[in-house]
Amino acid sequence: MEALPKSNKFIVPIGPQHPALKEPGHFEFTVDGEVVVGATIRLGYVHRGIEKGTEDRNWIQNIYLLERICGICSHTHSTAYVEGVEKLAKVTIPPRAQVIRTLYLELERIHSHLLWLGVAAHEGGFDTLFMYSWRDRETVMDILEALSGNRVNYSVNSLGGVKFDVDQKQSDQIRRGMDYLEERSHYYMKVVTTDQTFLGRTRHVGLMTLEQAIHLDATGPTARASGLAKDVRVDAPYAAYPDFPVRIQLGDRCDLESRFVVRINELFETYRLIREMLDHLPTGELQTKVPRRIPEGEAMMRLEAPRGELFYYLKSNGSDKPERLKVRTPSLCNWASVINLAVGYNLADMPMILAGIDPCFSCNDRTVTVRRPGDSQTWSWDQLRRYGIEYYK
Amino acid sequence: MNLTFPPILALLIFPGGLCLLLIGLLYEWADRKLVARFQNRIGPRWFQPLADFVKLLAKEEIIPDGVHAGLFLALPIVALAGALTAALYVPMFGFAPAASFRGDLVVALYLLSLMTLCTGLAGANTLDRFSLLGATRALTQLFSYEAPFLLALLGPAVAAGSWQIGTINAYTGQNIWLVVMQPIGFLVAIVGLMGKLELPPFDAPEAETEIVSGALTEYSGRGLAIFKIGRDVELVVGLSLVAAFYLGGLNNPLDFLLKTAVLLLLTAGLQSLFARLRIDQTVGMWWRVGAILALVQLLAILVGRGLGRLF
Repeated sequence: MEALPKSNKFIVPIGPQHPALKEPGHFEFTVDGEVVVGATIRLGYVHRGIEKGTEDRNWIQNIYLLERICGICSHTHSTAYVEGVEKLAKVTIPPRAQVIRTLYLELERIHSHLLWLGVAAHEGGFDTLFMYSWRDRETVMDILEALSGNRVNYSVNSLGGVKFDVDQKQSDQIRRGMDYLEERSHYYMKVVTTDQTFLGRTRHVGLMTLEQAIHLDATGPTARASGLAKDVRVDAPYAAYPDFPVRIQLGDRCDLESRFVVRINELFETYRLIREMLDHLPTGELQTKVPRRIPEGEAMMRLEAPRGELFYYLKSNGSDKPERLKVRTPSLCNWASVINLAVGYNLADMPMILAGIDPCFSCNDRTVTVRRPGDSQTWSWDQLRRYGIEYYK
Repeated sequence: MNLTFPPILALLIFPGGLCLLLIGLLYEWADRKLVARFQNRIGPRWFQPLADFVKLLAKEEIIPDGVHAGLFLALPIVALAGALTAALYVPMFGFAPAASFRGDLVVALYLLSLMTLCTGLAGANTLDRFSLLGATRALTQLFSYEAPFLLALLGPAVAAGSWQIGTINAYTGQNIWLVVMQPIGFLVAIVGLMGKLELPPFDAPEAETEIVSGALTEYSGRGLAIFKIGRDVELVVGLSLVAAFYLGGLNNPLDFLLKTAVLLLLTAGLQSLFARLRIDQTVGMWWRVGAILALVQLLAILVGRGLGRLF
């Protein structure tokens, strides 16, 4: 992906190893003085071959593998997968399991958005906000640990339900946590909308109009910050969202500030949802039985991950392993917006514009070949393998 | 307080030289600890800056390809020497300046600027793109804060009617604290000092999320250690200078400790309050706000003096 510079000027490489990047990626910004006139991006440093890996594992083992695609939205990935498998097996999970699954999804959204708030502030050189938001993020991490025993890969989902219940004591802890976080989020909202130095770095920076957002296929909070009403939880409710409707959060400023505001507003919405889910937690079983061999068929799943729309495609041939599994993560959809928005802004704005989409590198690294018209070549497994070895040499 | 030391002792051990290096490390620790506490972190232990310094000294110094090796090695030493020499004209620890002559204020200020100049040259000396960008930014920043900072320190000089730091120190000690009389000048001076030391929010020249370590990206080992300690010394000298001019002069070691600690607390607070300014914002702020404020202050002093003479 690239926006070509007009002439060959001073190129600033960022990555694969750079303090601004928490994961490896490579960006080249062509600058004229301090102004960026062109940008290119190269991904693929952490390609792990997970999609291929799933074909050698059975349906249950894959839950754990897919949960590790992303360290932040791990539960979203495993939910997308298990919901897809349940669709294939034509199993409906008990309502209590449905709500608990959704509860985790929302808790995960909190920890992801607070993490992002800190990272984005750090990229803008506002380390105090970074430290504060990560301190408060510990609240939700503690809740997740108390619920499941793990801070990131909770491994809550199983085929046909969830593994852990939520008891009264835990739900009290969650409520207390939500109260504290809500109060803190009000404070952060005040900081990002009133602090003059911070506004100097976010207001009118990285502008993406609604038309651009549609054209560049932006997704998630990045798109919603430009006023694009696109949220899978609203458009095609899954899990327990039909019973707990989400109010979509939109921004109208289209700049970085708007991306901050939308994400913090989403936090408020999430606190409300979590409280509602705890109030109306259905009683009943946590599990139903799912056959070991999944009937032949295809399934597609769309989920709203904290970063945007997550897409899963599953194909079963009736055995105990998937025949094909395809993942498209939200970060991949948003890269085009970054590369196009970068042009015309200062080099100093680049880390924040990059962080503005909340990129997750390792979950979007995959091999893509573009087949041109008249090009009928199909790659064999051996060819791909050799290509991979050459690529990483 | 007026103590006389044998010149060689004054230069190497106290109040210059070794003692200044150690107190510089101590102030770096205090600064880091304060910022950490403001940010709700634990912060480093008291000997951390010293440990970093010793570790860096012991490490291999890599001279990258394409640099002028002599310049590469000499620049950190010149920078440190500049900061240490500047200390001779400043009433360090509340003692009378070790050296003094008419107009030493200007010399001290230029010696303090040597650090930024050396950093800029060090960046421009290498082929590294981050260094080059860092050097450009460091020098751009130098041109933006230097004039207002100079004007802010000129205020007390004009009030005291002397360009000799020792005389100004004595004058401020006998009158009302100048921070009350010239609050704008004080503000410009303290913020200018932060710009000089490239402390947040004026750390665009070494913004790690953009240009790694700025002009010093290619430095490692001894060179980096000397640059770092040079900056620590400059911090102490700068704080002493501002305290001597605006906080009623430095008359004894206790005076020195208290007043510079107050200033350090202030700068640490400012460091943790703001997001990093872009280099264009820094320049804009200094020339649009800083320089004009400092000029207004100076004008007010001149008018005040003129009126005082009339009546």
